[in-house]
Amino acid sequence: MLDTVDIPRSRARRGLIDRFNLEIREHMPLEQQLLVVIGGVVVGLAISSLLLVAAGVSLPDVYDEFVVEIFTNPRNISSVLDYASPLVVVGLSAAMAFKARFWNIGIEGQLIFGGIGATVVANYDIGPPFLRLALMAVFAILFGMAWMALPLFLKLKLQINEIISTLLMNYIAFDFLLHLLYGPWKDPASGFPNSKLYDGFEQLPMLGWQDLNLAAVFALVLVAGFAWLLGVSRFGFLLRFVHSNPRMARAMGVRIGVFTLVAALASAGLAGFGGFVISAGIAGRLTQSFFVGYGFSGILIGFLARNNPVGVVLFSLLISILMVAGQSLQVFYQIPFAMVQLMQAIIVICVAASEFFIRHRLRFVA
Amino acid sequence: MNVTVGQMHEGSRTVPSGLREPPAVELRGIVKTFGGFVALDSVDFELRRGEIHALLGENGAGKSSLMNIVAGIYTPDRGEITVSGRPTVISGPADARRLRIGMVHQHYKLVKPFSGIENIVLANPGRSYRDSMSRILSLAEEAARKIGFDVDLTRPVETLSIPEQQRIEILKTLVAGASIIILDEPTAVLTDEEGSRLFAAMRRLAEEGNSVVLVTHKLHEALEHADRITVMRAGRVVRTVLPGEVTHTELTTMIVGSNVVELPERSSRIGRAVLKVRSASRRNHDGLDVLRDLSFDVRTGEIYGLAGIGGNGQGELVEALTGLVPLSSGNVYIEGGGDVTNQPPHRMRAVGVGCIPADRHSLAMAGDLPIGDNYSIGGVLAGRFGSAFKVNRRQIRSVTRAAVKRFEVMGVRSERQKAALLSGGNAQKLVIAREFSADLRIIIAHSPSRGLDVRAAAAVHEHLRHARDNGVGVILISEDLDEILLLADRIGVMNRGRIVAEFEAPGDRHAIGKAMIGHA
Amino acid sequence: MDFLINWLANIPSFATPFALAALGLIICEKSGILNLGAEGYMLISAMAGAGAMLTFGQHPFLALAVAALAAAALSLIFGFLVIVLRVNQVISGLTIIFFAQGTSQLISTIQGWTNESFTGLGTMRFGPLSDIPAIGKIVFQQDLIVYLAIALFFVTNWVLNSTNIGLRLRSVGENPEAADAAGVSIGLYRFGAVIAGGLLMGLAGGYLSVVVSKIWVDGMSGGRGWIAIALVIFARWRPFVALGGAVLFGCIEALIPRMAASGWELPQYFVLMLPYAVTLAVMVWTSLSGRAGSGQPGALGQPFVREERR
Repeated sequence: MLDTVDIPRSRARRGLIDRFNLEIREHMPLEQQLLVVIGGVVVGLAISSLLLVAAGVSLPDVYDEFVVEIFTNPRNISSVLDYASPLVVVGLSAAMAFKARFWNIGIEGQLIFGGIGATVVANYDIGPPFLRLALMAVFAILFGMAWMALPLFLKLKLQINEIISTLLMNYIAFDFLLHLLYGPWKDPASGFPNSKLYDGFEQLPMLGWQDLNLAAVFALVLVAGFAWLLGVSRFGFLLRFVHSNPRMARAMGVRIGVFTLVAALASAGLAGFGGFVISAGIAGRLTQSFFVGYGFSGILIGFLARNNPVGVVLFSLLISILMVAGQSLQVFYQIPFAMVQLMQAIIVICVAASEFFIRHRLRFVA
Repeated sequence: MNVTVGQMHEGSRTVPSGLREPPAVELRGIVKTFGGFVALDSVDFELRRGEIHALLGENGAGKSSLMNIVAGIYTPDRGEITVSGRPTVISGPADARRLRIGMVHQHYKLVKPFSGIENIVLANPGRSYRDSMSRILSLAEEAARKIGFDVDLTRPVETLSIPEQQRIEILKTLVAGASIIILDEPTAVLTDEEGSRLFAAMRRLAEEGNSVVLVTHKLHEALEHADRITVMRAGRVVRTVLPGEVTHTELTTMIVGSNVVELPERSSRIGRAVLKVRSASRRNHDGLDVLRDLSFDVRTGEIYGLAGIGGNGQGELVEALTGLVPLSSGNVYIEGGGDVTNQPPHRMRAVGVGCIPADRHSLAMAGDLPIGDNYSIGGVLAGRFGSAFKVNRRQIRSVTRAAVKRFEVMGVRSERQKAALLSGGNAQKLVIAREFSADLRIIIAHSPSRGLDVRAAAAVHEHLRHARDNGVGVILISEDLDEILLLADRIGVMNRGRIVAEFEAPGDRHAIGKAMIGHA
Repeated sequence: MDFLINWLANIPSFATPFALAALGLIICEKSGILNLGAEGYMLISAMAGAGAMLTFGQHPFLALAVAALAAAALSLIFGFLVIVLRVNQVISGLTIIFFAQGTSQLISTIQGWTNESFTGLGTMRFGPLSDIPAIGKIVFQQDLIVYLAIALFFVTNWVLNSTNIGLRLRSVGENPEAADAAGVSIGLYRFGAVIAGGLLMGLAGGYLSVVVSKIWVDGMSGGRGWIAIALVIFARWRPFVALGGAVLFGCIEALIPRMAASGWELPQYFVLMLPYAVTLAVMVWTSLSGRAGSGQPGALGQPFVREERR
C-alpha cells in the first residue's frame, strides 16, 4: 500500500482543453458589462430572427416588422408605449423585491388582486365619479399588498422560502378570479366571464396622441420615484447593503426584517397598481386573461435590468416591441403569439449566458 | 556556518538513503496569479525521497498556493513540474492521485454527513460499493494501526472532533497509496500532545521512504521535526536551509524580511468595568454547549486579551456581544446601557460596541459597494450624512478621503471604487477606520491581524493601543499567543466555551499554554 | 362504498405524476443543482407525449418515451446554463419554464395538437388477483407506469445509498470541494443528475397527457411542477417520504372529479384551489414541527469553480 516504487506514466504536455483555466473575475468595469449585456441581447435577437425565418417569415420581412413598422408607424409607437407602461410597473415591482433579496414570484397573483381591487370600486360605485379612478388605484395597491401578506409573514416568522409560497398564491388568485368572473361578477349583458365594462370615468384617460393613455405618465413618475428611492434616499443606501451582503448589513445594525417587509410590500403594491393599469387602461374591464404574461415578464425584466430603473424602462420597451410586432406577425403571417414568449425566453437565456463572461475569466495557460 | 542550498550535508538526522535518486517532486519557475494578485513569483522547490520538508512562512507567503498546485487544485500560469525525474502535468486532483500525491488541507475536504469510511471510499473507489466498504475498511484500519492512530470510522464526520477529522483526512491519502504527503498547517487545531503524535507518525512515514511536506508558520515545528526547511515570503522562496544550521533569529528574519520589532506597552489608565459578562451560556441547535457559564469583565483603558485555540467558543462569544445570536442564559452589562443581554445588533451598536470581525469579507465589508459607502454606513444608520430623503454624497466623499489618509489605506484611487478590490491589509484598515469613527465604549478585535503582513499587523496593533489610550475597552481575541502577550494588559484563556484562567500582564507563557490545552 | 373504492382506485394515477416529478427533482438536487423549472419540463413533455400520440398513432409507450426525451433535451439547455456557465440557478429555472411555455404553446398550435383527444393506456391485469373485490381494483388494476414508478423509487433509493455512484453523487451535492479533491468529476455527475431528473419529470408530464387526461391543452401541468418542488422540500429529500406526499396529493386530486360526479354542490373554483392551499399548509406544518437536520444537500444552489480563492 505504501510502496514508493514507480510513478505511473503521466502526461508531460498539457492537453488543449486543460490549457484553459476557469477563474472568478474580480471586477469588470461598468462600460464593459454594458457591452456584454448588449451583446447578449443582440445574440438573442439574432437567434429569434432565425426561428422566425424557419417559421416562414423572410428576413427582410422580419426587419420590416420589428424595425420599420415599429419606429415609423405612429400607431405602433403608441401601442408600444401603452404596452410598455404596465411592463415598467411590474418590472419595477420585481426590481424592488429583488433588491431586498426577496424573490417575489407572486407578482402575477398580486396583479390579479390589484385588478380585483380596482373592479370592486368600479362595480360597487364607491366614491364620487371624479375620485373614482384614484380610489381604484388605491384599492388596487392595497389589495396587491394584502395578497403578499401571508407569504411575507411566513418568510419573516418561519423562514419559509418565498419563491414557492408566493408562487402558490398565484394559482389560488387565478382560481379566485375565475370564481368571481364566472359567478357574482359575470357580465349580465353578455354572459361572458368578464366583469361589466368600466364606466368612462373609470378608465384611464387618453393623452390625446394616438392611443396613448395616462399609464405612460404613471410609469415615468414611478421610474423617477424608484430612482430617487434607491439612489438618493437613506432607505436605498441601506437597501444596497441588504442586497450586497445581508450578514454584514445585519452586523452593522440594519434591521433586515424591516427592510424586507417594506420592499416586499412596496413590490406587491406596485404589482397591484400594475393590475389597475392593465384593467383600467388596456382592457377596460376585468377579464380572465388580463394579467397573462405580465407576471413572469416583470420578473425577467427585473433580472435583465439588474434591478436598475433605467434598465427596466429599456427592457420593457424591448419586450413591448416584441409584443406589438408579434401581434402583427400573428395577423399577417399566422405566427402564433406564443412565439413572443419564446423570443423573450431566448433573449433572457442569451443575456444570462453572457453574464458568464462578466463573472468569470478564461485564462490560457502555456 | 555553512548554509548552502543543495549541498549534501550530514545534519542532525539520519540522511535518508536514496539521495542519488531523482527528487520526488521538483518545481521550477512556478508562477501563479489570482486576478491582479501575484501569489507565486517564479518559485523553485525540491522535495526528496524519505524526507520531512518544512515549508515555512507567514500567512499569505504562498505556501498553500504552491502545494495546491502540486495537489492539482490550482494550475500554474507558468512553470514546470517534475515528479520522480519525469516532467509531468497535474491538471486536477485525479492526476495528483495517480502520481501518488496526497494533501491534507487546512480546511478539511470532508463531506460532513458521511461517515469516515464513506469519505475514504469516496477518494478510493473500489469495484463495487460493498467491495469497497469492506476492503477499504481493512486497509484503513491497517494504515491507522501502522501510524498509531485511533479513530472511529463509522460515525458521521460532523460528530468527530477536529483532530479525529484530521486523522480521517490523513488516512484518505494513505489508503490511496500516497507516497508524497502534504500537510497544510496540521497543528493549528491540535494540542501539543496530539501534535507530537502526529509528528511521530510523520517520522515513521518518512522512514519508510515517503516524502512529507509540512506547511507551517511555526518556527519551532520546522526546527524540531523537519529534515530541511524552505522559507517563503511574499510569493518567493527566500532560502532552503538545514535546521541545524540556522538560529531562531535568522529564521525569523528570513520569514519576516525586515526588522519590525514590536514592543509591549502597558496601559497607563485603567478605569472601572465597562463590560460585564456573567454566566453566559449558549446551546447550539445541535445540542452542543458552545458557551458554558462564561464570565469576565473588561475595564476602560485596558486591552483584555482572550487567548485560546480556535473553535473553543470565541466566535460564539463575539456573536453574543454584537447581538447577532442570542444567549441561552446569562447576562451582558454595558456601562451606559445597562443590561443589554440578547439585544439586536443595532442596539449593541447604539450602546457603543464596535467589532472588527475575523471573517472580514463576509461580515465587515460589502465587496460590491464603494469604499465610501462601506466606510459611512455606520454614520448613515445613525442619522448622519444628510437626511432620510437625500444622502449627502459629497460629505461622505470628503469624510472617507480624510479617513483613508489618516489610517493609511493604500490602493484607493477613488471613494467610489469597489471595496472588494482592496487588499487584505488595507481592507482591514478601512474596517478599523470605520469602527473607530463611531463613539465606542468597547471594541472587539477578532483575529485582527490574520492574513496581514508584519507591517500591516503592527499598524493594526498601534490603532488598538490608541483606542485603549482613549479610554475604550478593547477585547482582543486571537489564536496568536505572541500577539496577545504583546498587547494585552490582562489575559483570559478560553477553553471549551468558558474562561478557565486569567492572568495579569506580562503573562507566564507556559501557564497560559497549559490553560489553553488543558481540559476545562 | 363504491365511491370510496373508485376514489382509492384512482389515487395511484393521480399520484404518479407528482411522484415521478419529485423523484426526478430529488436526484437533481442531491447533486446540488436547484431545479425550479419542473413545471417547464412537465409542460414540454406533456405536449410532446400528446403530439407523439397524434402523429405516430396510438402507441402510448412510444409517446411516453418521446415525452421523457423532450424533457431531457430541455434539461440539456438547463444543465449547460447552470453547470458550464454557472448562471444563477433560480433565474435559469424560471427562464426554462418561460421557454417551455412558449415552445409548447407554439408547437402545439402550429401542429394543431390542442384539444385533440386520444385513447390512453390501459390498465394491467394480474389474473385472478385483479378480481378480488375492492383490493383487486385498487392494487392490481393499475397501468404499467404506476408499477414502474414504484419500482423506480426502490431502485433510486438503492442507487443513492448503496452504490459508489450514489455516494459520489451525494458528495457532489454536499461538499463539491471535497468531492473534487477526491477526484470526482463535478460537471459529469451534475449533468448526469440533471438529465436523469429531466427524464423522470418528462415521464411525469407525458403521463399526464397520455394516460391521465388523454389530451393536450395549454398549460395543462397546472402547477404540479411547483407542488413537486414543495413536496421534495418537506420530504427533506427522502424519496419514500416524497412518495407519501405524492400519494397525499393524489388523494386530493382524485377527490375533485369524484365529488363533482357524485353531485356534491361545491364552489367549483375553491375546490381547485385545494392542492395549492394544502401545499402551503404542509410547508407551514413542516416548518413548525422542528427544523433540526433539514436534510438539504449542503451545496444546493451554488455553482462550483475550482480556482475560487479566499
